[in-house]
Amino acid sequence: MGFKEILLHVAFMSVLIFCALIPCLALTETVARYRACAARRHVKAEQKALSLLKEWLSPAQRAQYERDGHFEVMGSHSGKRYRIRPAGHMNIDEFSEHGALVAVWCFGPHGYLPVGDVMLAQKIALETNETAALQVANSNH
Amino acid sequence: MATQIVMDATGDTRHEFNPADASAVAEAENRFKELTGAGFTAAVRRGDGRSELIRSFDPTAIETLFFPRLQGG
Repeated sequence: MGFKEILLHVAFMSVLIFCALIPCLALTETVARYRACAARRHVKAEQKALSLLKEWLSPAQRAQYERDGHFEVMGSHSGKRYRIRPAGHMNIDEFSEHGALVAVWCFGPHGYLPVGDVMLAQKIALETNETAALQVANSNH
Repeated sequence: MATQIVMDATGDTRHEFNPADASAVAEAENRFKELTGAGFTAAVRRGDGRSELIRSFDPTAIETLFFPRLQGG
């Protein structure tokens, strides 16, 4: 194989690699753009849900949430105190009358919802129909 | 204006209607029945952080929230 042929071979391979690279780069950019768009939608949904949550909290709960990042509710049947933390699961702490943590509960609306929506559904359920909510819940106590 | 707020993956979807408009109220009542029939829980905001679960459509409610059926996590 002469020098010219080697040069041609290298040039051909370079063109081939370049041609294969273009669609790969385009695909990478499309995926990155899709991910950024999904992330923006996710952030927007979380903000919307937090805004709704704050509208439905009592003034005391709202103040506590803004100060501590969580809020407390009182069970509609037992009068027990629960703390709802911003998480998708195992985020409800039950306290004894002496303030000791006695259980962590986990329940929420079916399907994917932003965290603020989950917390709001948990608040309403505990404040209006505690027994039914805890019947479907899992706990670690 | 009254609002029906349905929780979903985007945060929520809102449907506003005029309580003085009979056809809009009928549409809102149909939506209520469809959602609760599909397992959604309906709650009405009563002010100062208090809410009340409702089993039938309340045409006087200013804000009704629907969230999907509860399940253990």
